[in-house]
Amino acid sequence: MFEDHEILSTIEMVKNEHLDVRAVTLGVNLFDCISHDLDRFRKNIRAKIIGHAAPLKSVCDQVGDKYGIQVVNKRISISPIALVGAAFSPDQMVEIAKELNDIAETVDIDFIGGFSALVEKGIATGDRSLIAALPRALAQTGRVCASVNVATTKAGINMDAVLLMAQAIKEAAALTADADGLACAKLCVFANIPEDMPFMAGAYLGVGVADAVINVGVSGPGVVKRAIERNLENGPMTLGNIAEVIKKTACKVTRVGELIGREVAKNLEVRFGVVDLSLAPTPTVGDSIGEIFQALGLSHIGVPGSTAALAMLNDAVKKGGAFASSHVGGLSGAFIPVSEDLHIANAAHQGFLSLDKLEALTSVCSVGLDMVPVPGDITEETLAGIIADEMAIGMINAKTTACRIIPVPGKQAGDSVYFGGLLGEAKIMAVPHMEQTNAFVRHGGRIPAPIHSLKN
Amino acid sequence: MNKRIITVLAKDKPGIIARVTHILYELDCNLENVNQMILQDQFAGFFLVETPASIDKDVLQKKMDEQTAGTGLVIHVNDIKDNNGTAMDTIGDIFLITTIGPDQKGLVARFSTIIARHHANIINLKAVFKGGPDPRNNVMSYQVWVTQDMDTAAMFAELRKKAEELGLDIRIQHKNIFDAINKI
Repeated sequence: MFEDHEILSTIEMVKNEHLDVRAVTLGVNLFDCISHDLDRFRKNIRAKIIGHAAPLKSVCDQVGDKYGIQVVNKRISISPIALVGAAFSPDQMVEIAKELNDIAETVDIDFIGGFSALVEKGIATGDRSLIAALPRALAQTGRVCASVNVATTKAGINMDAVLLMAQAIKEAAALTADADGLACAKLCVFANIPEDMPFMAGAYLGVGVADAVINVGVSGPGVVKRAIERNLENGPMTLGNIAEVIKKTACKVTRVGELIGREVAKNLEVRFGVVDLSLAPTPTVGDSIGEIFQALGLSHIGVPGSTAALAMLNDAVKKGGAFASSHVGGLSGAFIPVSEDLHIANAAHQGFLSLDKLEALTSVCSVGLDMVPVPGDITEETLAGIIADEMAIGMINAKTTACRIIPVPGKQAGDSVYFGGLLGEAKIMAVPHMEQTNAFVRHGGRIPAPIHSLKN
Repeated sequence: MNKRIITVLAKDKPGIIARVTHILYELDCNLENVNQMILQDQFAGFFLVETPASIDKDVLQKKMDEQTAGTGLVIHVNDIKDNNGTAMDTIGDIFLITTIGPDQKGLVARFSTIIARHHANIINLKAVFKGGPDPRNNVMSYQVWVTQDMDTAAMFAELRKKAEELGLDIRIQHKNIFDAINKI
């Protein structure tokens, strides 16, 4: 038996506040597909992935229809290709990417993630091949997502890898110059990459998992924003009380995600993994992290007070989500992707949000410098410096940080870029000191892992 | 012991339940289930009781009438046959069908007819039509029990089509989503 307000508020969350399940991601372990023969490897991964994923889309649609909650994106994450395909050359890695793209099209999912390498402590042969293949692999495919973990709190920052990734990003942008460097939107550089993340472009399947697992990413910026607004309409509130509202709302959203995820996993006869609590925006009005800042009383994301507001938001979301589900994981925080969030893109365009402030914000939230378009003529040293800074925030704070930066060929700060769909659109952000030479990043080697005592 | 259901209708006022249950207590009847609701200012109560073998339906009806005379309570006593199970004893699911939109003549009749044609059982219905812009004042919500042998997709499609014809917003969602969000 439900009260009227329970029924109507649930409907309202879906109908007007954009509550949906942002991603159901099927993780598929490919370690039993390993072969030194490329054709055999391709056949093996094709059979394994399609074997598990063929019904993914229809099952997600059925479950979404049953509960009246749309599963927006159906995705696949796989074991890191640099590990399971370690025997292959860069050219062969590109062929693997094309095979993965074809598999994604065959099972009708939008992205497949896991064209990935883990190089925080050093670069092995397979890692080097994969990184060398990245620009072509991403330029020649539409649905393959790549990630490279270059730092961890326990290993430090692999600066050789940071520079290699800056070069790969520049090259990938150049190869997709006619699409504003779109290939870079499918490439993330990580510190402390999670093994169970359902969100792209960074999703891959870790090594200590079952053959197949379902991880779910919920959404809900619009629901959080409206919950704050509704409560404030009833009179002034302290920030402690507002945090409580966010916490309760996150709890509800998480339970929706787990319900859907468990049912999809049950129908696919695979294990349920985690709910990723991240608040993931879209370029739609009313589905924006930036608008939550407005609801909290800040004119725009990026103005003084934004870091404190984001810290509170992120923490409250985690507390609510952790209460709702015993199986949370992935990134589990608030995303601030510039082009994917209408309000954040506008704040950046109007000068309220600079690259420096964005970096500061990433110290208290997930994930990092995400979907940030920068001028195409940024030097690889400057790009590597930006990546290294972001990795340092993750390494020191024992959290995930990432860079998904798009150097847009032929365009300057203030120019418009359009990536389409969930990737959105934005104006190119200015990068201070963009043309300075940066000998620091060319020293190479590894920045040592930080001390884990003397915390200050 | 015999099972009987007692229906009580009256204009709502304090003391209705106390009066009815006190009479039942004095007659050594055992209350098994009670439910009540108030529609605007009208009280409706349902009392499922076990009565001693010495009290048959007519005796109970007479005693209730005598002891509530002049109170305005309309009381009706019915026998309950042996419990042969309910529709919900079979394997199935509960869906909430909610429409939001202004009142029109025959709304409940039209939707419940479709549900009945598909042999689905309405286990709870709430309808409020007070007009105005507040959706809470223009809402129908059916909790419907469906079993696996029913063509639920066809029923839902028919309900959606009817809602569209009538200009109503309709949502059909499994009960568990409301549990997940509201019952923590």
